[in-house]
Amino acid sequence: MNLPSSRRQFLRSSTALIALPFLESLGFRRFASAAAVAARPKRLVFLGLGWGLTTETWFPDAQQPGADYVIPKGLEPLARHKADFSVLQGLTNRLVNAGHQGSTFWLTGANQLAVPGKSFHNTISADQVAAAHFGRDTRFTSLQLDCGTYAGNSGHGPGLSLAWDASGKPVAGHKNPVEAFHRLFSGDDLPLEKRKALLKRRQSVLDTVLEDAHDMRRGLGKDDNAKLEEYFEGIRDIETRLSKDERWLEVDRPKAPISEPKPVLAGYKEIELMYDILVAALRTDSTRVVGYRQPVDTLLTSLDIKVAPHDMSHYHSTMGEKLDASQRRDIANSELLAGLIDKLKAAREPDGSSLFDHTTLAFGTNTRTEHNGDNCPTLLAGHGAGLKMGHNLVLPKDTPLCNAWLTMLQGSGVPVERHGDSTGPLKELLA
Amino acid sequence: MAEPPQAVLAPRHRALLEAHCQNCHGAEKQKGKFRVDDLSFSLTDPLTAERWQKVLDALNSGEMPPEDEKQPPAQEKADLLDDLAHTLVTARKSLSDQHGMITLRRLNQRELKNTLRALLGVDADVSDLPSDAEANRFDTIGANLFMSSNQLEQYEEVAKEALNEAAFLNAARGTQKQLRIESETTIKVISDHYNEGKDAYERAKAWVQGVEEAAAKPENAETVAELRKNSKNDAMFRRSWEKIPGAPSPESFGFKTTENNADKANSAYKSWPTQYAYAKRYLELPALDTGAYLAITDVDGGRNGSLFIRFPGDFPPGDYIIRVRAGLTPHATPERSFIDFGFKGRGRPITSVHEVRGTVEAPEMIEIPFHRSWRHRDQNQNALYIRERGTADNYEQLKFKMGQGQKQNGVGFEPAIWVDWIDVERVPEKEDAVPPGIRALGIPMDDKKAPPKPDELRAALQRFAVEAFRGVPPTERYVDHLMALYTESRAGGAKHSVALRDTLAVVLASPKFLYRAEPAPSETRRPLHGPELAMRLSYFLWGAPPDAALVEKGRSGELLKPEVLKAETDRLLDDPRSMEFVRPFARQWLNMDRLDFFQFNPALFPRFDYAIKHSAKQEVFESLALLLKENGSVRNLLKADYVVVNSALANFYGLEGVHGDAFRKVPVPDGSPRGGFLGMSAVLAMGSNGEHTSPVERGAWVLRKVLNDPPPPAPANVPALTRLAGKALTTKERVQAHQESPQCASCHRKIDPIGFGLENFDAVGLWRTEDNYQAMDDQGKPIPNAKKTWTIDPSGAFHRGPTFQNFTELREVVATRGDAFARGLASALVEYGLGRPCGFSDETLVDSLVAKASQRDFALREFLHALIQSEPFHRK
Repeated sequence: MNLPSSRRQFLRSSTALIALPFLESLGFRRFASAAAVAARPKRLVFLGLGWGLTTETWFPDAQQPGADYVIPKGLEPLARHKADFSVLQGLTNRLVNAGHQGSTFWLTGANQLAVPGKSFHNTISADQVAAAHFGRDTRFTSLQLDCGTYAGNSGHGPGLSLAWDASGKPVAGHKNPVEAFHRLFSGDDLPLEKRKALLKRRQSVLDTVLEDAHDMRRGLGKDDNAKLEEYFEGIRDIETRLSKDERWLEVDRPKAPISEPKPVLAGYKEIELMYDILVAALRTDSTRVVGYRQPVDTLLTSLDIKVAPHDMSHYHSTMGEKLDASQRRDIANSELLAGLIDKLKAAREPDGSSLFDHTTLAFGTNTRTEHNGDNCPTLLAGHGAGLKMGHNLVLPKDTPLCNAWLTMLQGSGVPVERHGDSTGPLKELLA
Repeated sequence: MAEPPQAVLAPRHRALLEAHCQNCHGAEKQKGKFRVDDLSFSLTDPLTAERWQKVLDALNSGEMPPEDEKQPPAQEKADLLDDLAHTLVTARKSLSDQHGMITLRRLNQRELKNTLRALLGVDADVSDLPSDAEANRFDTIGANLFMSSNQLEQYEEVAKEALNEAAFLNAARGTQKQLRIESETTIKVISDHYNEGKDAYERAKAWVQGVEEAAAKPENAETVAELRKNSKNDAMFRRSWEKIPGAPSPESFGFKTTENNADKANSAYKSWPTQYAYAKRYLELPALDTGAYLAITDVDGGRNGSLFIRFPGDFPPGDYIIRVRAGLTPHATPERSFIDFGFKGRGRPITSVHEVRGTVEAPEMIEIPFHRSWRHRDQNQNALYIRERGTADNYEQLKFKMGQGQKQNGVGFEPAIWVDWIDVERVPEKEDAVPPGIRALGIPMDDKKAPPKPDELRAALQRFAVEAFRGVPPTERYVDHLMALYTESRAGGAKHSVALRDTLAVVLASPKFLYRAEPAPSETRRPLHGPELAMRLSYFLWGAPPDAALVEKGRSGELLKPEVLKAETDRLLDDPRSMEFVRPFARQWLNMDRLDFFQFNPALFPRFDYAIKHSAKQEVFESLALLLKENGSVRNLLKADYVVVNSALANFYGLEGVHGDAFRKVPVPDGSPRGGFLGMSAVLAMGSNGEHTSPVERGAWVLRKVLNDPPPPAPANVPALTRLAGKALTTKERVQAHQESPQCASCHRKIDPIGFGLENFDAVGLWRTEDNYQAMDDQGKPIPNAKKTWTIDPSGAFHRGPTFQNFTELREVVATRGDAFARGLASALVEYGLGRPCGFSDETLVDSLVAKASQRDFALREFLHALIQSEPFHRK
């Protein structure tokens, strides 16, 4: 029987698609302001909103750039945090043309048609770029929270969460707070021997399917082989995870800083709970990268809004109850976000600083209003990446959204030179 | 073979770029790091195509040239945009051409479900897996069927569940179960509710009297006057009972809650005459000693709005028949003669709709087949309902229906349907109907007997893997691994049943199960072997693996003979499993997902309920299925003298004398707009937003799907026509604003006239002659005097084509375009059937399909035969 180690070596050599190691020699230079608080780990949070928002009442007036802007109606609940977030205007994913897909390419900026012969193609998402760097030190490489089966109704588009892996394949997420909580804080009640046996069992399962995959690969042409390679990559991903699990086997899970969530009605309360779990995950340093594809349809239901989510995004045609629904949705999202920021500010790090000081949070979507993908709504908050906060940043029209992701990644200390269709970091965003 | 069209833009457009773009986007200046001077006019690589797309977008949205610059002449600009849009379509098609290469295919979501059903006899829950179906493409395209580590683990989980279910089914084999629900037993709920309401009312009345008496006392006059002045109404006044000396407390009349009890008493007092009138009327109805009526009332389940079927815990999974003995009351109209059937829970779509035919005196029986799965034990799925059709699809509808009934007689709709009883019976499996996977395994899956010996187990695993791998044997080492997995599990304390299930689940997550390999060592395209051809055929026509007969024909090589292949094709198409081709193909080909995009307003379209929406979708599938069955001409999809409907849809279309739940061919009278796609409710509703018709969507759909002349994709980021907001305009006036600028006109002049020709159909496909529009202000309030009503004028002309005065004439023109339609259908079949995009290199194949089918007046099966007999279908 193959030894797992030799097999891993084989797997490494069997494909050209392994994520490249990050090299210091790429000339990356960390921002000075970020370096000052570098003692604590950096965290990144991405919150995806699906079907857009209300352009007219969410964006600050573009005529009031800078710090002296009037908080617009849609952001009012965030007023108390005004100094701690910035709204970015003019960003777009230039290669994306997908009106019903608020999340599929949001963090990737990929061109769906980039590969001839394929009508769907995606690339790694910004959160996974960060996870590859930060995830080495935590139990969970990254945490994906998701609205689950409601994703279509919520305007997120194809995908299983906000995250897309190094091969542009969707990464699955936890679909409810209880599940996510248990993933983070439970599961350690099994005796160590049992857990070791389970890991060994997973390895044996992989050995088995790999034997079949090798047999099948014999005789396949080049094209088919490339397709089957996805299966090998899948196995390799699981193995990477298993070997990390092995390292974490004897490390106890942190005590949950919150009590086990009770199942709640979907929508507003659920988002709140997911936020609690997100904060708990960061506080316990279980992971440093979190993405959440938030529900829209159930949020509306929980606000007692009867308008269908997609229809709401077309509020321009009738205004009235659709506009009202859209605006109420914006307010609810801002309230929830303000609450999350409160919690991040209240959470203390061992050195006395707040979690918010080490976190950068992105809040937005690839769909603005109706099916428009220009001026992607983008709100950044937190002081983890040394970014300029408290500003209404009006950028040149069609600035690549990936420039914002790049700035956020670099500012957090992730050694990347480019992301998606980025053309360079946003100087305007640097503090 | 003709040269494939080149994605080349005419050189004459260079002049416009030079005059209007290159100053800022040329060799010298490159504003926005974008230059057009070096853009190749041959769009042969994705990057060039993408840059041209940007040019198109910038010009379309009016963003470029900037407002303060000189603008290009409108006609030149429109000409460039028109040309560029079409060149980009050509470029996209030629860039995605796989030149005949069929990429290794993974079982897609629905094929996996069908394959597990064929192998294990179970209805597996695959809803957690990616659906593989995305807009504007088929879920059979190998190149688009991805795999990821999460998915890999999900396959194992799905397989475990499926194997659990298979073990349960196997254990329950032959089990008989029966349950009768006498519906009169539910009446007590209503009488209890009524009596409680009545009691509360009597007590509240006494309290009100007590308060009023105290208030009438002369010594309280001043206090009372003050209180009355500050109270909006009597109820608010009584809320202050404590301030009136001598007034009794609501608690003393039994209103004891943790909330404000005066409110409770007030509410009991006020709601009695309205809320309980319906229950009172219901309880006075005849025949309550032997049955119950389906009510239309506000509490789901509480008062017989639905009757429920709850499965007892010991009812195993399997096939059941649910029999409902029911009859119509004198209040039933043809439209109110149906029941909805589905899983309990408001807002959950119905599973089916059934016609009720008997009377209260002479009820008749309705039979509903139902497959109960292991997962249905879940409390959310353990109960089924029946209720009057279209009464509780959602809360809005229920409120609307209740309001309508109250308007009619002050109380609520008189019940239309009486139910005598409901029977639930499990249908025992036939003794010989053991699913092939279970038969191949050949050892017990449970722990009733001693676990198998190692050599028995090994042989069993080997047989199961061969069956699961569709005849391809596993390696010896693979079976070694399986044995090790089983042994490890057992050593870890697992029972045989669990160890076996977990081991078999690994087989069902292995590549040979998940992928359909057609090994070809070099890049040469070799002919398929018999078994491979059998596989392609059955996954094409059944979305499932071949049955024993087809496997045998493949193995013996018989299938490679054209006449045998033809006979097998016909056999598969005659089988009901061919619906697993019809449904997914039609859904994806015709973009039917759009139908679920919008919520149809129940107040505007009370007749278009779930049952009709569901039936309207079926109509599309069943119309295709009928053509397949009769080998009819696909011209019937353009125009036909019949429709394929069930009784519910017949009623919706106003066709009389159609009874029963089965879809069947019904002739339509002369002059009827029905018959063919353009008269189908599903097709017309897709061309709306749930409220208004969208002539643009409808016109574009007809161009894409019927006339095979697809317009380029709608441009992104075109500013909304806000200047039209608040104006009372006809639909035509509003849509025609799109044609003002030449670049929009180039497509819309083709699209819009067709859409206008369909305006006699409202948003759900019902016939109308008049339409109206109420302009709204920014707040969504109707603007006074800004309402317009007009008589619909469907007349128009095809762009550079014939004119038409009305829908009938439009349909006549469409009916002459059979060749174009056949071409579009043939391309779609090539793509779906071969599992790769239909590129320019497939033109010859498409030509041959159309040519062959045209010899039989485009009979549907001829397309399939031509494709299945074609060389590409037989080659790796």
